Amino acid sequence: MKAVRRTLIGSGALLMAYAVSGALADPDVKGGALIFLVAVLVFHDGLLLPLTIGAGVLIGRIVPCRIRTPVRVAAVISLAVTVVALPLVLGRGRVPDNPSVLPLHYGRGLLAVYTIIWVTTAGITVAQHRRHRVRHTDND
Amino acid sequence: MVRDAGTGLSRTPARPRSLPARLAELGRTANRWVQAPLPRPPAALRRGPLRRGAFDSGLRSPRLTSLLGLALAVAFTICFLTGLISHFIQHPPAWFWWPSRPVGLYRVTQGLHVATGLASVPLLGAKLWSVYPRLFGWPPARNLAHAIERAGVAVLVAAALFQLFSGILNIARWYTPMPFFFTAGHYWSAWLAAGALIAHLGVKLPIISRALTRATPDRTRPGTLTRRGLLGTVGAAAGVITLATAGQTVAPLAPVAVLAPRRPGTGPQRLPVNKTAAGAGVRDAAFDPGYRLTITGPATRVSLDLTELAALPQHTVVLPISCVEGWSSTGTWTGVRLRDLVALVGVDAENAEAYVESLEASGRYRATTVPPPHLRDPYTLIALRLGGEVLHPDHGYPARLIAPNRPGVLQTKWVTRITARSKS
Repeated sequence: MKAVRRTLIGSGALLMAYAVSGALADPDVKGGALIFLVAVLVFHDGLLLPLTIGAGVLIGRIVPCRIRTPVRVAAVISLAVTVVALPLVLGRGRVPDNPSVLPLHYGRGLLAVYTIIWVTTAGITVAQHRRHRVRHTDND
Repeated sequence: MVRDAGTGLSRTPARPRSLPARLAELGRTANRWVQAPLPRPPAALRRGPLRRGAFDSGLRSPRLTSLLGLALAVAFTICFLTGLISHFIQHPPAWFWWPSRPVGLYRVTQGLHVATGLASVPLLGAKLWSVYPRLFGWPPARNLAHAIERAGVAVLVAAALFQLFSGILNIARWYTPMPFFFTAGHYWSAWLAAGALIAHLGVKLPIISRALTRATPDRTRPGTLTRRGLLGTVGAAAGVITLATAGQTVAPLAPVAVLAPRRPGTGPQRLPVNKTAAGAGVRDAAFDPGYRLTITGPATRVSLDLTELAALPQHTVVLPISCVEGWSSTGTWTGVRLRDLVALVGVDAENAEAYVESLEASGRYRATTVPPPHLRDPYTLIALRLGGEVLHPDHGYPARLIAPNRPGVLQTKWVTRITARSKS
């Protein structure tokens, strides 16, 4: 185990050194890549994740216990889809002379996906509660 | 032999020691240094998220983190290898070789690259959530070794986020937030992530193997989200993202692909476009009646106008355009075989390559080298027509390169010059 660990750590460090030296030698990378590297870390760990955990606490406070878990599940899936969809919804990548780029109405698409997520979660929850109740009456 | 650090320095060795012995001594000294405890910061600073028990979810466990990490490692490996393939096709090292068949191989590898990257979003999110309390561990660094390990984790997290965020921005073609050339940044950051991931695996190996081999009871309270429930949720999120986007390359999924940045059938002549003729600044040159396709060989040169090109034997092939951004779309192309064109200047296509240049005055992708496997392939055309119609200007009128199993950026449009040379 010790030899495997040493090999992994050593080769990993070598690859990281290769990445850093390669990036420094590449005129296309520039300092902007370092700014972006730090920015995504600060944005995720300092803003996105605390807000997500805060939203989770809020769900724990305001959502009734019975449906808390399905609400959490649907919220997590919605958040993941939002991360992927937001740049499309904002549509900053559109160019006037090329309608084949971002050809869809992504705001509407995202709403449709939200609807499917929440309706499906609600449907499964209702079905589970019903099954639970049936089992409960059977036992009586 | 265990020796005290203090006495070791003062004692004079009886005789000069060998180099390996000295190196070993140096290693031991370095080890003592990095393992020496650092002073603890004042307890008064331990506030907010740094407090003991600030994070109370019973859902977090080494087993959950290890399972998510394992899935993420598989996903990142797929992304890394497929990305490397795409990079090497575009910047081939001397040892690299890429076949021209199967025609749709690149469409699969690059489609997989983007789809796997997008599906990694909920995986990485959940993984980072599961270890977030460790960011506020107390003391921040026990010793130098611990500090180095934590810096390595920061690099891993930053590089992983860099890959996913820059990839998402790239397929949405939103470049303003990225103050660097996307391809180069994404490439080097991939190596950084790969190295940091391998080192991280080495550091955490005992914890991972324990967590994955020993049964760990789920400590979640009844009625709350269980470990299995969270893993299912992450899987469902990855599934929803894939269904909503994969239609950009998997045509049967196009009707449900409401979040696909491209639709395979949307664009002039039912094919998407990356760079338009106006965007490339070639509109005037493309429609100039003086347009000629010049083919240069080692000894001769041939110049053909559109009528002469159309008079050469025409062939029709069905080939996909497969973009590095993960979308792809199949077209029916008609034109002259590139191997027939280089034969006009006396080059045998069996072992030759061709440098194909566009009317574009500048730009990263204005020219490309067609390597031997693609040059000799009868499917490689200088196409004049798409779907039976004369090429749309945005698809490269008057003539464009279309070859099997290549990234779209290398399918040069508005072709005006071909230089053929034998490869010995």
